[in-house]
Amino acid sequence: MLEIRFHGRGGQGTVVATILLAKAFFQDGYYVQSFPLFGVERRGAPVEAYLRVDRGKILVRTNVYTPDHVVVLDPTLLEGVNIAFGLKPGGWILLNTHSTPSYLEAFRGYQVGLVDATRIALEYGLGTRTQPIVNTAVMGGLARVLGMPTVDAISKAIRDEVSSRPEANIKAAEKAHAEVTLLGLIDDRSNTSWRRSNLEDT
Amino acid sequence: MQQVLEGSHAVSEAVRLARVQVISAYPITPQTHIMERLSEYCADGNMGARFLRVESEHSALAALIGASTSGVRTFTATSSQGLALMHELLHWASGARLPIVMAEVNRAMAPGWNIWADQTDSLAQRDTGWIQLYCEEGQEVLDTTIQSYRLAESVNLPVMVILDAFFLSHTFEPVDVPEQESVDRFLPPYQPKFQLDPENPCAFNQLAPPDVYMEMRYNIQSAMDYALDRFEEVEEEYFSIFGRRYQAVEPVQCEDAEIILVTSGTVTSTSRQVLADLRARGEKVGLLKVKLFRPFPVSLIRRLVSPASKVAVIDRNFSFGASGIFAQEVRAALCNLPGHPPVFGYVAGLGGRDVTTAIIEDIYWRTKNAGIPEQESFWVGISEVSHAIGHC
Amino acid sequence: MTLRQTAVNCPPLIIPCSRFTTESNKTGSWRFLRPRYENKTAPCSSACPAGEDIPRIEMLVAQGLFKEAWETVLMENPFPGVCGRVCYHPCEQVCNRREFDEPVAIRTVERFLADTATRNGLQPDIKRLNAKQQKIAIVGSGPSGLALAYFLARLGYESEIFEAMPEPGGVLRWGLPTYRLPVAILKADIARILELGVHIHCNKTITPRFLDEVTGHYDAVFLGCGHSHSLPLKIPGEDLDGVEDGLRFLQKLRQGKEVVLNGTAAVIGGGNTAIDVARSAARLGAKPLVIYRRRQQDMPAFDDEVTMALEEGAEIWELRTPVKIAAVEKDYVLTLQQMEVIGEDARGRARIRVQLNKTEEISVQHLFVAIGASSAEQWYKPPPKKSSTMRLSNCSILPRSQGPTVVFGGDLVADIKSVVHAIASGKQAAMALDNLFQNGFDAIRAGIEPNLVGDGPSLSMENYLGWPRTQSSRSVVHHEDLNTDYFRFAPRIIQPRLLREERLRSFAEIDLKIGTILGIREAERCFNCGICNQCDNCRLFCPEIAVVRDDTTQNRRINYDYCKGCGLCVVECPRSAMTLEEECLCNRY
Repeated sequence: MLEIRFHGRGGQGTVVATILLAKAFFQDGYYVQSFPLFGVERRGAPVEAYLRVDRGKILVRTNVYTPDHVVVLDPTLLEGVNIAFGLKPGGWILLNTHSTPSYLEAFRGYQVGLVDATRIALEYGLGTRTQPIVNTAVMGGLARVLGMPTVDAISKAIRDEVSSRPEANIKAAEKAHAEVTLLGLIDDRSNTSWRRSNLEDT
Repeated sequence: MQQVLEGSHAVSEAVRLARVQVISAYPITPQTHIMERLSEYCADGNMGARFLRVESEHSALAALIGASTSGVRTFTATSSQGLALMHELLHWASGARLPIVMAEVNRAMAPGWNIWADQTDSLAQRDTGWIQLYCEEGQEVLDTTIQSYRLAESVNLPVMVILDAFFLSHTFEPVDVPEQESVDRFLPPYQPKFQLDPENPCAFNQLAPPDVYMEMRYNIQSAMDYALDRFEEVEEEYFSIFGRRYQAVEPVQCEDAEIILVTSGTVTSTSRQVLADLRARGEKVGLLKVKLFRPFPVSLIRRLVSPASKVAVIDRNFSFGASGIFAQEVRAALCNLPGHPPVFGYVAGLGGRDVTTAIIEDIYWRTKNAGIPEQESFWVGISEVSHAIGHC
Repeated sequence: MTLRQTAVNCPPLIIPCSRFTTESNKTGSWRFLRPRYENKTAPCSSACPAGEDIPRIEMLVAQGLFKEAWETVLMENPFPGVCGRVCYHPCEQVCNRREFDEPVAIRTVERFLADTATRNGLQPDIKRLNAKQQKIAIVGSGPSGLALAYFLARLGYESEIFEAMPEPGGVLRWGLPTYRLPVAILKADIARILELGVHIHCNKTITPRFLDEVTGHYDAVFLGCGHSHSLPLKIPGEDLDGVEDGLRFLQKLRQGKEVVLNGTAAVIGGGNTAIDVARSAARLGAKPLVIYRRRQQDMPAFDDEVTMALEEGAEIWELRTPVKIAAVEKDYVLTLQQMEVIGEDARGRARIRVQLNKTEEISVQHLFVAIGASSAEQWYKPPPKKSSTMRLSNCSILPRSQGPTVVFGGDLVADIKSVVHAIASGKQAAMALDNLFQNGFDAIRAGIEPNLVGDGPSLSMENYLGWPRTQSSRSVVHHEDLNTDYFRFAPRIIQPRLLREERLRSFAEIDLKIGTILGIREAERCFNCGICNQCDNCRLFCPEIAVVRDDTTQNRRINYDYCKGCGLCVVECPRSAMTLEEECLCNRY
């Protein structure tokens, strides 16, 4: 069973991202379970949501404590939230960021992926200029990191469920899928000042 | 059609498919998603129901009592304080023999203010004459809601379909939403046995003096007894069309079990996982899921647990001054059975605290390692509060 | 494994259900007090000289039944278009809502009805009694004469009107400026009267011989000639060329004469005519100056009119009286004597006297005199203190041994000279003549008295005709009789008006029409004092369900077999449309 934890802020579409991903995985033949951290959120407050994916029926109905992967929709959360808490060694951390962050050594032992979902969202006019909605771009990035679900399944989930500008959202997911930067495992040899161009060669 | 659906929306879909005619509710977390979806259906014309907006839960149920008396199919949903506010009318609905169906999303009673899963709200209403059905997953919620109309309308008692806050109400998972034609086949239009009729005026539920009141109460209990039987028949018919059934009490590997865990709600689902793990390690453990709480299936439970040497009941609820409420009921069911197994009561998961696989496993080992229960209720995972939470 | 326990059959369903009623207990026999529905009289109706059933009119408007509401006005008053504009609305002074927030804008609603009727081309259903043989001559087609003709027609009498001017209407046609009363409105109201078969002879001046000449042709003659003769100043220079009589000036304007003024136009007087002249002068290009011998607050002109005159640039010089007029070149030099206040009379008007040696002179370009008017001919007025004259509140009746009976009406017999009093005069005269013809001279007072609205002296024609209003009690509903818990505060409508600048440009009507929503909203403010508007409070509050609604008539009635006389219905009636009386115990014990 695959367990993924999502960190975002109220209003970014974090919960919706897990639901759409659940639908995409389901489309691809998986059994799924998604739910938000049960709290009393408000706009802008840190929120968490979870996604479980398995080949067979999922019986466990508890919170996710030891996720396989973590997705961060807003990098400013890193200052206040231990996003790697409970993350299994070697698990992926997908960050929505526009640059290679300087704090990568904090993620030693995990694999890191970067996607500039905010820029992509702005590019496709998702949400507003003051508050771009990044969730669909992040979904595209995650699909690339995990190698699943398929882009087709994501497109279908968006088309079925997103009432506002589904095609632009699909394009954003596709673009993020293509653009995501896979830094891979952060270990002692890792140079935290890696440039994006270096990575394209690996 | 199989789709990924939120638990709350599984209820909404069932209500739509049941062709409910009057809906009334007052919003309260975590019930609200149910009514939001239904109000959209009513507004969009996807449902032909009258959606009555009211100023309180008390009024919501009062409105349905009126509607149901006029002979239509009705639905409401609530949680926690909202259900408590309905208390007086819960008695009225059952005493008036109205087949109202309610979705009750289990939420803790305040204070301290808490919106999370806890069964004390619905269990505190156990004496109001409502049939109570506890569900563990989205599919069961949908199926049970549809079945409830058949059950309620055949025994003339109201039904509460109960689901855990968030762990079920806000969780998306695959649910098979049946076709309208199949549901219509299972659930024909409501044929009231009595109804308000301006052409033929009469007064309902007027004074019932001492010489008839007891008979009326006895009649309700007879209907409850009959409901036990009817529940199974309804499930059979449902199974024949949809291929799914849940049973009033579902035994899982109880035949050879030395220790039987008794659960309800979503804890059951997680316990199934624990059961599989423990069995894989050779432990003789069984699981008994109690779905039907009122009427309480006493003889079934007696028969199913009597071969075991110990029974461990997990309660996500508590009756102050007594014990967990399912444990109480199980003890009461067994006490006249000679040589019955001891009943261990565990209280876990109050106010939305997670009941993890580790906790359930811990409960199993505690039970296995103990001779007899040393206390009526063991509070699992309770931590010492070293500081006062607040000062006067 | 089967889950089936012992087989249980479906138990019978036992619920408390009763088809019996406790009506057979006849709890009504226990009653000491008896509630009953009793429509009463609203203070506004009683204060309306025409006795309009105002709470019913407002209720019908609130229900959107505009035609019915309009017909309810027409029942008592043939001039909704006129009165909706120029009535001085004494009804609003006594509106019970005044003590709650602000009085209902009754006149505005009446005008709304008249406008609505015109816009939709409504034809009223005016019921008339069978034709009678008597015929009446009416001298003067002012509001009293026209009203008389209207009410006589409805009572079945034929009448003919003799009018000296080329068109009917009297003061309404020739004396009121069009910015207050557009001619089309007046004509529509008059046309509705003439459609009842009233004959009118214009350009026909009557002489005293007329009264004898018509013997045999008419059974009665009504004189409603009004005040067409202006009072003189009786000062030197009054007869100078160009010193104009205010009434004649207004008449000239209404005849369509082109007049251009410039400079200052002095108007002497403080009545409505003076103010009409001043405001007309302002529209014609002059700066009006109103000269009045008492204080501004003592002016007989309506406050609203004075306020608007000031808005339109008029100036008021109070406590001054002219003593001399002289012509200097093209101007007039007016010598004014200053006055001083030495106290107040019983009505609060200043008592004044001359301030010796305090005079001033003012040069003006135009001068109008409007200090009051009297009848043009002495014989128009009722003979003084003649024993055979019957003096009623709004008309006087002179029986004659030879020739037709003469009835004096309109302004010449009225204490308050207003359009609606003139209508009251016509109505009273109609009732008086009907009684005279049917039952004789001595039956007149007794025949009229039962039709008083509330405290009187207003009269109800609906009542006289024996229609439903007869059932209303004459007892007037006071504010303390209402249960105002059921009413909400709501601001009175603000009459939309032309801007000051727009007003000065033409004689266009100042008060604008209001839309249906505003009309309904204003009518909804009415408490409907004393009449049942089917709010159903009585039925909802009756603890015995003894109040029954008749589904066909929508009326409520009380099941007296069952009513225990608790009186809750009467207390909870918001508008005092119920009465609680002591039960007669004599039959029981």
